[in-house]
Amino acid sequence: MNSQLERQVWFEETVALNDKAIIDSGFPWLEAMRTEAKESIRQLPIPNRKQEAWRYSRPEKLYEHAYFTPINPVTALDEDDIVSWVYPESESYHLVFANGFFVPGLSTLNLDKGKLHIGSLREALVTDPAAIANWFAQSQWHKSDIFTALNFALMNDGLYIYLPQDTRLDKPIEVAYLSFNLEQPVSAQLRSLLVLDAGAQASLIEHFISTGNSDYFASHVGELFLGQNAVLNHYRLQNESHQAHHLSRVSVRQHTASEYRSVNIAVGGAWSRADIQVRFTGPQATCDIEGVYTAGDEQYSDFHLDIQHDQPACRSRENFRGIIYGKGQAVFDGRILVAKDAQKTDALLTNKNLLLSEDAEVDTKPQLEIYADDVKCGHGTTVGRLDPDQIYYLRSRGITESVAQRMLSLGFAEQILEHTEDEQLHAAMARLISSQFAK
Amino acid sequence: MLKITDLHVSVDGKPILKGLNLEVQTGEVHAIMGPNGSGKSTLAHVLAGREGYEVTRGSVIYQNQDLLELAIEQRAQEGLFLAMQYPVELPGVNNLTFLREAYNSLRRSRNEKDLDAVTFMKLVRELARQLELPDALLKRDVNSGFSGGEKKRNEILQLALLAPQLAILDETDSGLDIDALRIVASGVNALRSPERAMIVVTHYQRLLNYIEPDVVHVMIDGHIVRSGNKSLALELEDRGYGWISEEAVA
Repeated sequence: MNSQLERQVWFEETVALNDKAIIDSGFPWLEAMRTEAKESIRQLPIPNRKQEAWRYSRPEKLYEHAYFTPINPVTALDEDDIVSWVYPESESYHLVFANGFFVPGLSTLNLDKGKLHIGSLREALVTDPAAIANWFAQSQWHKSDIFTALNFALMNDGLYIYLPQDTRLDKPIEVAYLSFNLEQPVSAQLRSLLVLDAGAQASLIEHFISTGNSDYFASHVGELFLGQNAVLNHYRLQNESHQAHHLSRVSVRQHTASEYRSVNIAVGGAWSRADIQVRFTGPQATCDIEGVYTAGDEQYSDFHLDIQHDQPACRSRENFRGIIYGKGQAVFDGRILVAKDAQKTDALLTNKNLLLSEDAEVDTKPQLEIYADDVKCGHGTTVGRLDPDQIYYLRSRGITESVAQRMLSLGFAEQILEHTEDEQLHAAMARLISSQFAK
Repeated sequence: MLKITDLHVSVDGKPILKGLNLEVQTGEVHAIMGPNGSGKSTLAHVLAGREGYEVTRGSVIYQNQDLLELAIEQRAQEGLFLAMQYPVELPGVNNLTFLREAYNSLRRSRNEKDLDAVTFMKLVRELARQLELPDALLKRDVNSGFSGGEKKRNEILQLALLAPQLAILDETDSGLDIDALRIVASGVNALRSPERAMIVVTHYQRLLNYIEPDVVHVMIDGHIVRSGNKSLALELEDRGYGWISEEAVA
């Protein structure tokens, strides 16, 4: 256990150590915000047990290492290092980021047609600075969360997607964020900024992966803006090294009648946490956020959802399942807030957990705060074990106990995955989960 | 093939089987009848190896092995199959995937390679067709949302697919209408063979009109109290179980 002071020092040293590696964007507004973020790091509270959001686990081991931001983009990479594409190149747009930098050589697209843009944030700052200035860091998350502030202070690049009104991409966008250690433990701090103008539709698949099995620190802050009637299908497949620290922040802003659908798979990381925040900026928007997480020996996995209904007649669904085995530990925290004027809100939160061992642990905490009176809200959480009658049934057909457990555990996850109709994507997510259990 | 001697079984400390004796030869079909609570289903589950049943005395020899020493899956791999009275639902587990895993588990236990997917599909589709089981049920999750009759037909599909040496049918007729009963019975009859034995556990004589047993046993209060040919089943249909209980006590 490290002291409060040691943690404070870690944050400030991490900024100081990496300061030289941070490339000046050349934009005074951005650098001013960065300075502001650095200032926040000195002032914001360090995660501690007294804060509700950090009650169950803090990334203690993170503070034991110094992590370094690579100065130059990685060049020694080839296609074989990214084994996780769902679709072949011909069926999706591929973008690769490695240790915090865009890798154009491995990306099959860096589109910049008129206003439409899919590619590197750094490059877009040059070609489309006004649009980025308009949207970037609008979530203001760096002012309240020290890790988001750290991400801002240390980020060099990221993903930028801008789809003008009524654009419908012909193919999904697949992005691989690759992290791995060099001579020293690496800090890979990335942003993504996605803006869908009114009526635009896109599918985005994000892979968080590694080529090795080392302890790096990958942090990702995503800001997604959905205009009126825009539709985003968002798949996040987190398969980091089992030694790594992974931290994700996803901020979603949804305008009138927009639809956000997302599936989050999290299987990697020694310590992994994803915070997903949804804010409605117009009525009749819907969000449907699902996920499956697994945690085994020496793994801690955490999801924090924060859905705020400030507008009337919006619909939100959160449905997550966890499989915890060995000495794994998981946390699920789901908060729904319905403001006074958000009448006709329809919100439902479900979290089910399967514990496969005596030592497995999960803390699940749904929170509903409702200030409107004409709403339909509900939540349900369960923590259970495999049903002995189901195991018996499978074994009575000649299937060994370990295979029976595996089939039933995958079946438990499948009840989330089956909502994804695309067979390739469905199969890719199922593979990711099944790869976590010894055969 | 199967020899049960003086079998005593308790559940939660309560004796259910109280000295049961039964011998089944290869090729025979035995019916075990009896009122509710007589221990019929307990016997079926003890043979299949379900946990929670404590054998306090007696032995079960199956194909020259001590059956009670074998794990649940080993019994299945040795050719024992129980068609369950209440097949459980397995949400998220695809029926075809399950059938294939079961089928290949038995092959692997005999050191055979897994059957390739195409040949397996042909096999299972043909069996499903014979049992008038819609193709759609193969693609659904195991027993999930199946009607009572569909669950029973799915059991018989597994029976046909796994082709055991000893098949135990536990109240397979319960919850079936007459058409479903006919289909299930013809599926079972198609599997009768000189190499295979069957134990048909049932409360009612009705099923035995379709599956004719070689031997009928009456089980009451954890014992077999009477054995005979199929006319015994008809007599039970006429007179109920009361007269046997009285004779047994007398």
